[in-house]
Amino acid sequence: MAWYRRFVNLMRSERLSRDLDREMAFHLSERADQLMAGGLSEPEAAQEARRRFGNRTLQKERMRDADVLVWLESLLADLRYAARGFRKSPGFALVAILSLGLGIGANTAIFSLIDAVMLKSLPVGHPEELVQVMIGDNDRLTNPIWEQLRDRKDLFSSVFAFSEPTFDLASGGEARRVLGAWVSGGFFPGLDIRPAAGRLLKAEDDFRGCPPVAVVTYGFWQSQYGGQAAAVGKTLSLDGHPFEIVGVTAPGFFGVDVGHAPQVYAPLCAEAIVQGPDSALDQRSYWFLSVVGRPRPEIPEETLRTRLALASREVFTATLPPRWSSEQQQRYLKGTLRFQEVAKGISNLRLRFREALLVLMGVVGLVLLIACANVANLLLARATVRQREIAVRISIGAGRRRLVRQLLTESTLLSLAGAALGIPFAHWGSRLLVGFFSTREDPTWLDLAVDGRVLAFTLAVAMATGIVFGLAPAWQALRVDPQAAMKEKGRGIAEGSSRFSLGKVLVIGQVALSLVLVAVAGLLLGSFRKLATLDPGFRHEGVLLVTIDLHDKSPAKGPRYLDYRQTLDGLREVPGVRSASASMITPVSGWGWNEGVLIDGYAPKTSDDNLIWFNAVSDGYFATLGTRIVLGRDFDGHEGLGSPPVAILNETAARKLFGRANPVGRSFRVSQGNRTDPAVEIIGVVADAKYQSLREKDSATAYLPIGQHERLGPSYNLALRMDGPVAPLIPAVRERLGHEASGTSYTLSLLSTQVDESLTRERLLATLSGFFGVLALLLAGIGLYGTVAYSVARRRHELAIRLTLGASRARVLRKVLGEVGRMVGIGVGLGILLALATTRWVASFLFGLTASDPAVLALAAVTLAAVAFVAGAVPAWRATRLDPIVSLREE
Amino acid sequence: MPKQKNDILQGTLGLLVLKTLEAQGKMHGYAITAHIQQASAELLRVEEGSLYPALHRMEQDGWVRAEWGTTEKNRQARFYTLTAAGRKQLAREQESWARLTEGVRRVLRYA
Repeated sequence: MAWYRRFVNLMRSERLSRDLDREMAFHLSERADQLMAGGLSEPEAAQEARRRFGNRTLQKERMRDADVLVWLESLLADLRYAARGFRKSPGFALVAILSLGLGIGANTAIFSLIDAVMLKSLPVGHPEELVQVMIGDNDRLTNPIWEQLRDRKDLFSSVFAFSEPTFDLASGGEARRVLGAWVSGGFFPGLDIRPAAGRLLKAEDDFRGCPPVAVVTYGFWQSQYGGQAAAVGKTLSLDGHPFEIVGVTAPGFFGVDVGHAPQVYAPLCAEAIVQGPDSALDQRSYWFLSVVGRPRPEIPEETLRTRLALASREVFTATLPPRWSSEQQQRYLKGTLRFQEVAKGISNLRLRFREALLVLMGVVGLVLLIACANVANLLLARATVRQREIAVRISIGAGRRRLVRQLLTESTLLSLAGAALGIPFAHWGSRLLVGFFSTREDPTWLDLAVDGRVLAFTLAVAMATGIVFGLAPAWQALRVDPQAAMKEKGRGIAEGSSRFSLGKVLVIGQVALSLVLVAVAGLLLGSFRKLATLDPGFRHEGVLLVTIDLHDKSPAKGPRYLDYRQTLDGLREVPGVRSASASMITPVSGWGWNEGVLIDGYAPKTSDDNLIWFNAVSDGYFATLGTRIVLGRDFDGHEGLGSPPVAILNETAARKLFGRANPVGRSFRVSQGNRTDPAVEIIGVVADAKYQSLREKDSATAYLPIGQHERLGPSYNLALRMDGPVAPLIPAVRERLGHEASGTSYTLSLLSTQVDESLTRERLLATLSGFFGVLALLLAGIGLYGTVAYSVARRRHELAIRLTLGASRARVLRKVLGEVGRMVGIGVGLGILLALATTRWVASFLFGLTASDPAVLALAAVTLAAVAFVAGAVPAWRATRLDPIVSLREE
Repeated sequence: MPKQKNDILQGTLGLLVLKTLEAQGKMHGYAITAHIQQASAELLRVEEGSLYPALHRMEQDGWVRAEWGTTEKNRQARFYTLTAAGRKQLAREQESWARLTEGVRRVLRYA
């Protein structure tokens, strides 16, 4: 292509200049020779030759300028011409730019999310060096294992560990939670971060028995302390313990976990201060630390592998948990350490949402294609109007390629304008979408700053769409016969009456793509609805949850046991509380506890066969949550550490362990490593209820009385079923909690919110695909309306003649409708085939539906057909209302 | 040289160069200049340097192809040949030239 060559020449100007000099020198010497042959002397000949040649420098300059200038000039001319054209038909330009803006903006929004979650490297020094230490596929280590790894200079040049607990900033009363981090001394030095104020934690801050210091983030510093320098040195209360703020991190730093941004960093040794007797620092089976480091760069692969193998043996031998069964201990000792690259950070968010984001990228890509088809059709229609102008330009010698270039410039200008509109829309949209990821417990934070990658993506998409939809009129323009075009009015570029004109093909394509989108939306919406409306085995409206955090340093039994009873009884007396209960775990919270169970006479087939999920609950739990008691009875509230151990099973557990026999009166034992607990008698059976997630198939659950559970964990939950709306009763609850549970901190939430939040991903997909499905329907409808209206308008002449020759309006209408029907029919048929081929990519998100669910497909097809048919029928019907005489006279 | 004459000649220079290359095959810039002067029986005389921007442009547009070679006198020169696209362009320009001259002739005859 000519302009490519021009551009390349710009780059090679040095060599070109020398070539030109040589060429011109040759010319001059030839001319001089010829003149000398004619009789002139050498110097005279040379002079005459130069005179005839003219100014060499001028010629060279003209050549050089020609390259850039011609290129630039023609580009500017094209742009000016395009802009003028758009100004003359602002309606068209507006519709085109808006639909493109929407399409490109949506794509940019999803891409910036993908960029932030999956593609960006961590904003730390040399992120590509970072690796995470894993044991097989497990990414969490215990503190004893970490302490073994910490000083291994043979493996790492720097290594650090961290964990992300939430801290309560309030001192008692309702909790003010903030995400924090326990970090080892090597965290900040290992990441190569600078402070914005004060200093950051270093190795000297991390030793057993260390003083409580903390570092806060820039954002926290700004919002809580107004960015004042005096904040450094102030005291912060973390879970009721005072910590001194020693510094602030630089802005933009969010740690190593993509999707979370801990606000307060404290040294790992201080965990002992906050957790007291529950400290995990010496626990050999509490897996909570992520360990990341930079391996020594000079070690070759082989050596690293051997060293890791050796290190594994040493580390696991040194940290073997003594009370495990021998089988478990053997498994532990066989563990192998390995390195996993984490240049892009560790991210649970990425794991949970990766596929969903990719599906969304596909969805918005389809929407953009449909929008392109619309704009292409608009351009085609416009090209027909301009056919005379184009024909004239061709006949006076404008190369067709030049014309195509001009049309493509127009379309690229449109799409760049659309992109300019789309970027702010994407900015707003991506922030909105992050809200979908967040839950109350686990708010999401992402670095959504627009980086080079996002901009490059937007630009590439804009250019590509410009060319894609610009090809349609450009291709037509190449086929125009200028003389024919100039002669007849009403024929030419976009032949509407021919069977498979480009416009029709575009519409059929639009209908097909829209069907795919509507089908996907239908599947995702249907799944979401099934999940949201299924019977989870409990009633979640109107239930207030209170999570009580126990900080006290006193030993496990005794006071905590009393605490729950007193608080529970106290809350039961609050007016408006219909029933209340306590439990260790609440439904669908993500927490879980399971154990192996032994029954006399029952031999488990696999290790999973006798696995039962457990919960510790008070009396009244089932009544409060609305779970039916099927056999036997509920706990009576008097079960304690001294009374015989009892339990209640759910139907699935009863069936699993006892088959059809009545389990009431029978017993089981919990097997824990080497010892087995005393037999537990079963006193009742309740209906199945969802335990960890709404999607799970029946989980076998056993409920123990909370009074007999040996250790109440660091927190437990109270569930209050209210008479009527919850909000007005909250102050009374708070007051009673302040009275009964003074000194402890608590959090209030609704069970229905908790259930909703477990469906975050499904809700995200359902909402967005629904939105884009409707958008696709709309775009397809508009496209069809426009095409039919336009085709009818151009054939007014022909239709008018038919009418005057005696054809009834109905017949004409039927003819046009027939064409519409054909287009829609082919589009829908094609769409169904496409849908069947592509919906399998969302199969993993579905619930209760298969990817080729016939009902959903049928519904999508019918909806689309109806919308499309109406969109096409309206202009057709209006056409038949025309007065034929008027139309003919206009010719 | 008077300005107008030069302009008209510049405009048709492309046509003349293309025709020369079609008739004579592979030529260097000097030979093309010489041929035009000779074939026009010295009626056409161009500022010789102005040929080169025209040749350059035609090379950019893909109408001629150029490569370095040696003349019989063992000098290095750049030789130009007509491309297929150039042939088409020549036909186009000849046609529009014919139309132009015919039109002008008719207007002048119309007394």
